[in-house]
Amino acid sequence: MITIIFFLQSGKVFSQFPEILIPKDVIVQHAGSIGYFSVGAGYRLFKNKRGNLDFNYGFVPENKGGTLHIISAKFVYRPFEIKLKDWAKLYPLNPGAFVSYHYGKEFDFYWDKSQYDEGYYWWSSAIRPHISFSNEIKLDSKKLFGSGKIKSLSIYSEFNTNDLYMVSYVLNTKDLSLTDIFKLGIGIRLGF
Amino acid sequence: MNKLTGSFVWVSCSLILFLTACNSFEYSPNQVFDRNSPQYLNRKSLQRLAESVKDDTIRFVLTGDSQREYTHSEELVRTVNNIPGVDFVLLAGDISDFGLLQEMEWVNEIFSKLKMPYIGVIGNHDLVANGEKVFKRMFGELNFSFVYGGVKFVCHNTNSREAAFDGSVPDLPWLREQFKAEDGVTAYIGVAHVPPNNGDFDTSLSEQYVNVINNSPNTLAALFAHTHSKNLFYPGRGNIPYVVTNAIENREFVLIEIINGKFSFKNISY
Repeated sequence: MITIIFFLQSGKVFSQFPEILIPKDVIVQHAGSIGYFSVGAGYRLFKNKRGNLDFNYGFVPENKGGTLHIISAKFVYRPFEIKLKDWAKLYPLNPGAFVSYHYGKEFDFYWDKSQYDEGYYWWSSAIRPHISFSNEIKLDSKKLFGSGKIKSLSIYSEFNTNDLYMVSYVLNTKDLSLTDIFKLGIGIRLGF
Repeated sequence: MNKLTGSFVWVSCSLILFLTACNSFEYSPNQVFDRNSPQYLNRKSLQRLAESVKDDTIRFVLTGDSQREYTHSEELVRTVNNIPGVDFVLLAGDISDFGLLQEMEWVNEIFSKLKMPYIGVIGNHDLVANGEKVFKRMFGELNFSFVYGGVKFVCHNTNSREAAFDGSVPDLPWLREQFKAEDGVTAYIGVAHVPPNNGDFDTSLSEQYVNVINNSPNTLAALFAHTHSKNLFYPGRGNIPYVVTNAIENREFVLIEIINGKFSFKNISY
């Protein structure tokens, strides 16, 4: 919420930056492996604006299994667009990928060479690559509510899994199912 | 909205509801717990063990390294369930591969199908990332002991490399206390993940460690996992067996019996 207000009030400041650096979207997400809640700024990619690159900061409080601080960079592409109404579009299946970074001394970017031989653990515990599938309903808020700073309002749900879950799955397809390794998040995307 | 998109919206909404009910919302792979995470598993297992009917034979299984081996863990559970009279199972570390909550939950789901209680001991992989916090909340302390049929099982952390060989692991002062003479205890068994002849064990402590283990009033054996191959050796003074179990991935475990104070074991493949 704070981020949204910040963006609304600081439009003038941002207008001094090169146009391309100004984020077009503000995102608020619940769960989805990048925080209990995360907030972010999004950029639209490609001529058709069907791609997005988002940068999120997420937080997991102690009473939800934290404390964790997570930064993520997320890419999504929307290959299919279904017009539901004059003011509503559905993007039914959007493949994506993202990288999350867990901040903290428990999470290693590089394993300490003095402590571990090369390759002792082959993965990084701080950096987690994910793949995702999402769907999104986008509402044209201008057509719905008339004028206003917010041009569009999207709600989306996103399923993701990560490298370590996938490795666990491929060796145990008899005992793990895809619903075991795909995790859910939901979010709101405001377009300016 | 046409029929197709209408039904799509309906299907995706119900899918989300279904997955929400299945606890599919994840805040982070590194979260310490979720809504359904079990707690105090070792304490509950020991309570069950204390309430069980005892006979003159202590029979238990030593296994380890369930890390990322869900299918083979299922097979182990089926095999152990078919052996009569097994009192409990020791899962001696590397329960998880990446120290993740989800892994320990998956392993617990499988090991919960054992007819007898199982006890989890900390392994080096369980200490990766947030693993220590996950283990402590789900299983319990890293160093703990229990007495069953007059035998004291001292379960402890020997993952020295994870502590950067700082001299704190294994906790020798704690172990010395545990292996002292005690009322109601006729014999002692050490249980840990990394054996003292392994490179992941703090070599500057291994000699003292073996002395502490062997110099109790009556140590029967010390039990380990970690190396993914079976092994038997007799370090230090005395003829005390240090038994290392094969890993679950190699489908072999150790079945141990203590009858009238006499320790015996055999490796069982499945």
